[in-house]
Formats: sequence, C-alpha cells, structure tokens
Amino acid sequence: MTSSVWPALAALVVSAVGVLALLLAEKQWAVIAIIIAAGAAMFLARRFDWNERIRRSGAANSRKVFLAAMVLVVGAAFVMREHNFALLMLCTVMLMMVAGLGLTLQFGQAGVVNFAGAAFFGIGAYAAAVFATKTALPHLLVILAGGFFAALIGSVLVLPLLRTRGHYTALITIAFGILFKTFLEVNDALGGPQGLKVPGFVLFGHAFNDPIEIDEETEWSFYLAYAGLSLLLVAAAYAFVRRLERSWIGLAFDAVRIDETAASAFGVNVAAWKIAAFSIGNFLIGVAGAAYAMMTGFVAPTSFTFGDSLILVSIVILGGLGSALGLIPAALVVVVLPEKLQAIQEYRFLLFALLVIVILLVRPGGLLPRALRDYRVGAPR
Amino acid sequence: MRLATLLITVMVALATLPAQGKDTVRIAFIGPLTGGVSANGLGGRNSADLAVRLRNADAKAPYTYELVVLDDECKPNVGVQVATKAAADNGIVAGVTHYCSTVAMAAVDVYRKFGLPVIVWGAVLPDITYANDYKEVHRVNGTMINQNEAAARFMTGLRFKRWAVIHDTTDYGKGHNKYFSEDLARSGGQILGTFGVTADQQDFSAELTKIKELKPEVIYFAGLTPVGVRIRSQMDKLGVKAVFQGTSGIVSDAFIEGLGPLAEGVVAFREGAPAEKLPGGRVFLDAYTKQKYPDDPEAYGPFAFAAATLIMDAIDKVGPDRRKVRAELNRTKDYDSVVGKITFDDHRQNAVPLITRFVVQDGKWVVWEDSEYASGKRALVKK
Repeated sequence: MTSSVWPALAALVVSAVGVLALLLAEKQWAVIAIIIAAGAAMFLARRFDWNERIRRSGAANSRKVFLAAMVLVVGAAFVMREHNFALLMLCTVMLMMVAGLGLTLQFGQAGVVNFAGAAFFGIGAYAAAVFATKTALPHLLVILAGGFFAALIGSVLVLPLLRTRGHYTALITIAFGILFKTFLEVNDALGGPQGLKVPGFVLFGHAFNDPIEIDEETEWSFYLAYAGLSLLLVAAAYAFVRRLERSWIGLAFDAVRIDETAASAFGVNVAAWKIAAFSIGNFLIGVAGAAYAMMTGFVAPTSFTFGDSLILVSIVILGGLGSALGLIPAALVVVVLPEKLQAIQEYRFLLFALLVIVILLVRPGGLLPRALRDYRVGAPR
Repeated sequence: MRLATLLITVMVALATLPAQGKDTVRIAFIGPLTGGVSANGLGGRNSADLAVRLRNADAKAPYTYELVVLDDECKPNVGVQVATKAAADNGIVAGVTHYCSTVAMAAVDVYRKFGLPVIVWGAVLPDITYANDYKEVHRVNGTMINQNEAAARFMTGLRFKRWAVIHDTTDYGKGHNKYFSEDLARSGGQILGTFGVTADQQDFSAELTKIKELKPEVIYFAGLTPVGVRIRSQMDKLGVKAVFQGTSGIVSDAFIEGLGPLAEGVVAFREGAPAEKLPGGRVFLDAYTKQKYPDDPEAYGPFAFAAATLIMDAIDKVGPDRRKVRAELNRTKDYDSVVGKITFDDHRQNAVPLITRFVVQDGKWVVWEDSEYASGKRALVKK
C-alpha cells in the first residue's frame, strides 16, 4: 500500500501560506479572516475526509515531508527577512516547540507529569546567561549546557517523582517551580528580582545580534540568523523525539504510561524509563530556554512563573498529548494569537481563552492527536 | 456558530477606527494591562489615551494621533516582544513605555537597537536611565534615588539621628534600602541595624525585639502595605517606641484602614504630588472624569499623560521623524506639564521630579506642609 506524497505536501504548503499570512497580518480584520479560514479549512478537511489521506501520505513519505517543511520555513523566513517582529514570533514559536517536544515526551509519552516546564526553561535561560557572560565557552555549547543543567537540576526531583503518582507528582513539580522562582528572587548573584542581561549568540565570529547588511540600501533583520538557529534546534529535536517514539524506547515509554504494573510484570524497568523521559525532556526544555534567552537578551524570574508552566502544558494538550506534530499548530495558536489580538488590549486573554475552549470543544483530542501505532504488514511507519 | 458570529462582530467593531482628514501619526503605549499590577497599567493607558484625545480634539494640532496600545504583562520576555513590535514598526514614531522596572530594563536595548525614542512613565529603578547612555530612553517620573534623597534630607532635618531599617527582599525593598542607607550616611544619620524580611512574613517579633534593644528613634520600612501594617501593629504590641517611616509602597488607604488610630504620625514619601496638588492636576483630573474611564488614573497616570503630551508636542514641532523627535526630546528643558516642570539631565532623566512628603493625621494621608505636625501643633515624638 503505497501512498502519494502530494496530499501531505499540499496540506503543508497551504498551512505554511496561512502561517506566513498570519505572522505578517497587521490589520485586525486580516487576523480574523485568517482565523476563520483556518477554521473553514479544518471543517472542509473533515467533511471530505482529507485528514486520513493527508495523514497516510505524510506517514508514508515522512522524510520527504520533513525536508519540505524545512524548506518552507526557510522560504517563509526569507519572505519575512525585513520584518523583525514577524521573525521574532517565528523564532519564538519554533523554540516553544522545542520545549513542547520535551514536555510531550515526559507528559504524553512516558506519563511523567511536569508542571514546572517554565522552571526548566528558566534554568536553561539562566545557565546561558551565566555561561555566556562568565566563560569563553563557544555559544553552541552554551546552549547545550543550558539543556544539560536543566536535566541535572531536574535530577533532584527524581526520587520524589518515583515515589508518587498522578496528582501528587504534579504537586511536587508545582512546588519545584515555585521554589525555583523564589530562589532566583533572593539570590543576588543571579541578578535577583531584577534579572540579568544575556549576550547575543555568536557563531564563528558572526554576532547574531547584528543586522545582515546586503548592500547600501537593504538590511536584513538580525532575527534571520536566530530563525536559522531555531530551525536547526527544532528540526533536530523533532527528528530525535519522533525516532525515539518509533523505537523500542518509545514502546517502553508507552507501556510505563499506560500501566506501570503490567509494564514491570513484563520486565520493563519503570523507574529507569521514567527517569530517562524526565531527563531527556528537561534537556530539550533547557536547550529551548537557553536559545530563547540569548535571542531576547534578558532573563528575570517573572518570566518563569507557574502561569508560564501552564502555558507550556497547554501547548502540549492543545496539540494532542504525546503528538509531536500537533505541537506545530498548538505553539502557533498559543504564541501568536494573544500577540495578534493586542488591539483589543486587556480583553485579549479573554478572547484567546475562549478560542482555546472552542478548539477543544471541536477537537477534544487536541489539534492533531497522536496516531495509534500500526504494525500491520505494509502499514506506513 | 452563533458565538463565532458574535465574536467577529465585536472584533470588527473594535477594529474600525474613525477616519479623519489630517495626517495620522502613531505613538505607542506599553504597560501592564493584564496581571497583578494591571490597575496601574490601565490607569496609565487611560491617561495616555486622554492626552491623545485632547490633542485630537484640538483643531490647531497639525496631526491626528493614534495610540497603539500594547500589553507587556509586567514580564520581561513579553516586554521585549511588544517592544520589538512597536520599535520595528516604522509607522510608530515614539512610545510611552513601561511601569515595571524589570520590563523596562529588558526593553531599553530594543529601543536602542531600532532607534525608537521612548519616555518611561512609571518604572522607578535608577538603572533604566543611569546604567546606559541610550539617547532613545527618557523618563519623566522620579527614581528611588530621588525619593530616598528627599526622605533622608527631610528626616535628618527634623533632627532624627538613629535609624533601624526593615526592608522586604524584593527589588523594591532592596533598592530602597540601598539608596536610603547611602543618602542617610551623607545626611549624617546613623543606621543601627538592617533587617531583611520576606514579602509574606507574618511575625516580626524577632526583628522587633532586636530593634527594641537598639533603641532607634526612627524605623525605616521599605516595602508594601500588607507587611507595613503588620510591622506597625506588632511594634505597638512589643512596646517599640519609634517613629514609623515608610516609602511610596505604604501610601495607600488600605494602610490606614488596616491600622486605625495606630497609623497616626506615620510618615512616608512618594514621587509626584497627589494629582490635585499638581500644577495642572485639577485640569487633568476633571478631563479624566469627563471621559468616564472605568478605572482610576492611579499614582502614575499623570506621568503617562505628561509623557504622551511631551511626545506629541515634540512631533508637532519637528514632524513625525524618529531622529528629530529624539533630538527634540533630548533637549527638553523647563517644560511645563501636569507633573510640574520637566528637564532631562545628561542621562535623559527628569531632573526636577517632585517628591511629596506625607504624614497620617486623623486617619488620612496629609501632605506634610498642610499638616498640624508641620505647624507645630502636634509632634511625631510624644514628650
């Protein structure tokens, strides 16, 4: 059973054009029109049963579609080369996806709840701030160090995590998030409540914070460089998480999530896999935090509150628990929509929350729920 | 589906702005419209909006102004995002920006990078103007330095000599402690002991027992109303006899309601005068009331109004060009505004900020000069 690449490719191109239009839309009516169009597209796709065809075509040609998606992002970034703000949003979406990938691995695949996502994001951000100012570590390594530290500090939570289940685990992570923020506020060495400046990213002598001068007349946004970096990170994280999911490790994660007792009866080491998922997830979240801090140039404790952790969790749930692909539309909705609704000022979160509720009413399993594993002969993998 | 239709109608209605004949110039307002300090953000937003409306109602004004309002949520990461949005938009000429100090600290680099002239209307951290030399960044409100300088000078002027300091461990309390201690040393006062407390601490008997032994004349408290109320009432229980001196954080009605008669004789300092005492304050308040905004202007509303007016005056004079507006704002000297004269120093900080001294008299915050304490009828220290 082979499937043509075209349905998936067409869906991809249509979505990319929509996203580009949303990022560049400035007028309120344009934003509304795009939201309605997206809703209509979803409705039509369901009506004519395109979803299944697109899914199958995408699954059968995953490598090609993945490459096409990367090409499309590069193309979109190029179109926006002089629009600083739109590029900043694009980078933010991609970095939030990296963090979301980490969280979905913990939450949706291995079933380890983590309500301290923002804290681990913050650990990465602060690690980047400290390493980039105090050491001469190359910045690519600084970003990895952010992930490493998030995983390392997360390991203090391992013991309580293994001893608790469900709501109690959630409570532990919430407590950790609050602890982290308070620690930052009383700790003057890390800037205290006022926060720290973070130097911009430098790679092989090119400072990412400098605009890219093409000639006398044209100057491309410096965010273009960050878009490249974010794309690299998100592509690597996505490929990594997807491969993990499809491997025997992913199977072990699923077993641990669905039934711990049954899993251990079959010889799956529940504790080891929980620790693995938690640490890998924190690593990804920390990497995202480090890159984000270097891009925005400033870290402060107020950016890493419990509320921000909930936003990360909501990205994961909105996309569909455990679904890596669903993170793309979910991150877009959560990051870009509140921003595009700035014109209605203090009411924007009201409307944004309403939209999220409407989406979950229509699609209770998330925007793009995780597909079931299919082991039949010839099934797309 | 009906819900969606309703939403769309509402949004389209909100998006449609009245079109007018003159050239339209856009200026940005950035402040916290959602979250814990949104009252201040909304007050500032309304005040800036009022300034724009008054200018647009004036037929002689060369341009029509449009206020682009952005919400920074009092979070630095969101602040950088909206600052980028405003600064990268070449249609926006200048901005009235930020109430929260951390947000302002994070955003000033963005304004520098994109060359957007801004006036800070509420953030009090000195570093926003003094830790950089960005020609884009101005500030109309005073800083913690001004407030504490005035406080130290005033209190030593009343012949107090010995202080004990209690501050909360937020940036607010820590900053105030730092500047007050420095200024007090300069004015000849002596600090017997400094105590840091957390912003949600309930019991202060340990600190206050120590302070009782030290026998200070004044207890300086840097923090906000809830902790201030607790400390003042526990002072009374433990029999600590000292004048209670606070910062802008306790100048609120809740402080007096929480303490009752115990509040009598508490002194505190705040940047800016109460609106009705300001040169143009009455006019401002009347105009504000006339627009029927649902929220109060709050303490910093007049500064947002002054900042927006200053920007529009500059644009009226030199045209909607960022560099020219920046140069014009840099030159501001003895400019008359609702918050008094504005003159920017070499770091574009308003050099003549007004600091008002308050004392609680008969259950009200009274400006010191009008109080019976100043006229000698009552005394802070009972003989």
